[in-house]
Amino acid sequence: MTPLRRCVRFASLALVLVLALTLPAPAQAPKHGGVLTIHPLTAPPSLSPHEESTIATVQQVSACYSSLVYFDPAKKQESPDTIIPELAEKWSWQDNYRNLVFLLRKDVKWHDGKPLTSKDVKHTFDMVRGAADADAKLRINPRKLWYENVEAIEAPDPHTVVFRLKRPQPSLLLLLASGYSPIYPAHVPLADLKTTCVGTGPYKLKEYRPGEFVEYVRNPDYFIKGRPYLDGVKWVYIKDRSTQIAALQAGQLDVAGSGWNRANAETAKKGKPELVVVENDSNVNDNVLVNAKRAPLTDPRVRRAVNLALDRKAYLVGPRLGAATFGGAMQPRPSGVWGLPAAEVATLPGMGDPAKQKAEAKKLLAEAGFGPNNPMKLTVSTRALAIYVDTASWMVDQLRQVGIDAVLEQIETGVWHPKMTRLDFQVALNLTGTAVDDPDAMFFENYRCGSQRNFSGYCSEEIDRLMVEQSQTLDRAKRLKLVNEIDRKLQAEGARPILGWAKQYAVYWPRVKAFPQHENSIFNTSRFQDVWLDK
Amino acid sequence: MRAYITKRLLIAVVTLVGMSMVIFFLMRLAPGNIVDILFESAGYVDQADKKTLERELGVDRPLVVQYARWLGELAHGDLGKSYRYDMPAWRIIKPRLPVTLELASLALLFSILLGVPFGVLSAVHQDRPLDYVLRVLSLAGLSMPAFWLGMVVILVFVRSLGWMPSVTYVSPFVDLPANLWQFVVPALAVGYRSSALIMRITRSAMLEVLREDYIRTAWAKGQRRTLVVWRHALKNASLPVITVIGIEFAFLIGGLVVTETVFNLPGVARYLVDAIQLRDYPVVQNLTMLIAIVVVLANLAVDLLYAWADPRIKYEKA
Repeated sequence: MTPLRRCVRFASLALVLVLALTLPAPAQAPKHGGVLTIHPLTAPPSLSPHEESTIATVQQVSACYSSLVYFDPAKKQESPDTIIPELAEKWSWQDNYRNLVFLLRKDVKWHDGKPLTSKDVKHTFDMVRGAADADAKLRINPRKLWYENVEAIEAPDPHTVVFRLKRPQPSLLLLLASGYSPIYPAHVPLADLKTTCVGTGPYKLKEYRPGEFVEYVRNPDYFIKGRPYLDGVKWVYIKDRSTQIAALQAGQLDVAGSGWNRANAETAKKGKPELVVVENDSNVNDNVLVNAKRAPLTDPRVRRAVNLALDRKAYLVGPRLGAATFGGAMQPRPSGVWGLPAAEVATLPGMGDPAKQKAEAKKLLAEAGFGPNNPMKLTVSTRALAIYVDTASWMVDQLRQVGIDAVLEQIETGVWHPKMTRLDFQVALNLTGTAVDDPDAMFFENYRCGSQRNFSGYCSEEIDRLMVEQSQTLDRAKRLKLVNEIDRKLQAEGARPILGWAKQYAVYWPRVKAFPQHENSIFNTSRFQDVWLDK
Repeated sequence: MRAYITKRLLIAVVTLVGMSMVIFFLMRLAPGNIVDILFESAGYVDQADKKTLERELGVDRPLVVQYARWLGELAHGDLGKSYRYDMPAWRIIKPRLPVTLELASLALLFSILLGVPFGVLSAVHQDRPLDYVLRVLSLAGLSMPAFWLGMVVILVFVRSLGWMPSVTYVSPFVDLPANLWQFVVPALAVGYRSSALIMRITRSAMLEVLREDYIRTAWAKGQRRTLVVWRHALKNASLPVITVIGIEFAFLIGGLVVTETVFNLPGVARYLVDAIQLRDYPVVQNLTMLIAIVVVLANLAVDLLYAWADPRIKYEKA
């Protein structure tokens, strides 16, 4: 071999090696088959997502249903740009965002073989918005508020649906894309859907054993050809956290992590290093309900002192084990779409130098007439669940550091919301998650005067007016400005001080592919039509 | 004997009626009701909807009326409807019964198989090394909670073998070996604790009997050791052992909450706790009554076994 040929051969080999190392590996072709076994947050109270607000239901039923539109499972951030068609082939806004028109697919069948028509869509949303002429009434209707701007729903032909609105509301499309907006079959009695599922989704219900498991099999008539990849999905409820971890490590679960904290994920990984741990931001926040109608919190100085006393950095390393982000009422950017700018978040009460803020809190308390000889007595209420109690106990400690004689009150979960609704508390630690990262969902539910979930009783006519204004603003940049303005005011007034935004975890075996996780919602990812198993 | 059984059954009915009152009214003393819980999962409370729902479920009626309605339904074999799951309570209870019964029976079987022979051996070898070893083992069994032992066993299995019992229930009619694998570990964990108690009772009863004159006579007559110990002594020492076994069985039916939770077995004990938290009155009331019936019947069975174990016991009037 001549030196030249040797050089050419060497260069060719080197080139091949460099290309092999630098070019992306060809994407693996998805395989069909297998059953995904997964652990939910908890057992679902029923299979009817329109009647529940716990993630347990939407998480375990989404595989069975479809919505008009849905958030792209492959895109990490949910936003108007990541909405994809589902039952609706096309949609369009008309009359300056007053009418939303959907054209439905014509090839969709319910799991019992009947065809889907626009009547099913009208039936579903007339029921949810509590229309006077609705042909069914939900026994419990947690999301009626979402559709209060809908004036009428029309079904002019079997494959067209028109939502007529009282005022423009671009966010309606996002609300409809949520896992909480599945289309129900008009021909199945509503009561039956609490224990069974007749949907149009990628999986059909095989068996539901309350408190045990929900099992699905592949829907061969699913309207997206070639999907789903899996033969089935089985949600297995395991109550004990140690058993959850052991079951994942033993391979009895393919995926776990719902409701886990960083320590749980690390424990699982330590036992089986090959497990994949995915940590993401989430749209669940720890917030403080301050009852401004009950003494001594009627005094704005006391409310501000409480807010300042809670050192957010200590919260991060304490109860949240380093796994949280800071923000205002809207989920912080970049994972959230509408959050306050990071520079502004850093100036919110509780975010500054802890010593200085605690000194300021003590000063405010002294001005309000409280001091070492007359300590303020305060009861911090929370739900008797570990995830709540850990943070509330930390709060008690923080408040004691500024001389507040704080005590913890654990409230049994069954009476938690009735107590909050009655404003029967002084200060409470609460967790809030909204189905979609959108100001219409967050603000109207939690901050509007008289809203059923406005547990702190906060009420401001100005904020209410701004809420409506942002809701009908079509220009996104202008709307973001308005949303930030509202958030700023809410934080300044201590309407519902936010401690932080929790992280979420998914822990799974490497054989699980295309497992979706969104960084600004934990509610809209469980359709599983694209998930597959490499085994 | 028949008159005795009839009398005991009548007393049992009175006991169960008393129990039903305690169960019914105690449940209502707890704060919050099922409607609160239903709204709890919806994350809000609407007073108008709440009133409608209370009316629909009948929980707005006076307690005495609700109690009478429940007893009436029970008398007709109707277990009512689970408020939580909106389905017949029996549909929820039925698949859970075999799980708890299998676990309790296997645990009891293990506890008898371990407890009685070890108790006898311990007594026969009193103050010798075997006795000390067995007493230490029994003390350990009494000291270790079953759920802790169960968790340790699971972790050992997972860490060393990469295996653990199935976390979903496998029916013995579907796959018997898998079912036995699933139940053997929790049943051993629970049975070990019970066996420790049975062993101690057996040991002390045997020690007492082995000092009796008729045992001494049997030894003097040159009877075989196995015959003296296992036939003459054990049968006469069995009265307190039978009592303890009866109590343990009754305890096991309702007391397996934590074991069922740790091993993720969908039995009635675990579900009972969930149902209490959910204030699912029909399910709680009927499950608790079921446990009460098992306790009453277990006690009756124990009393009847006394006559078999000790012919001196007569139930007829003198």
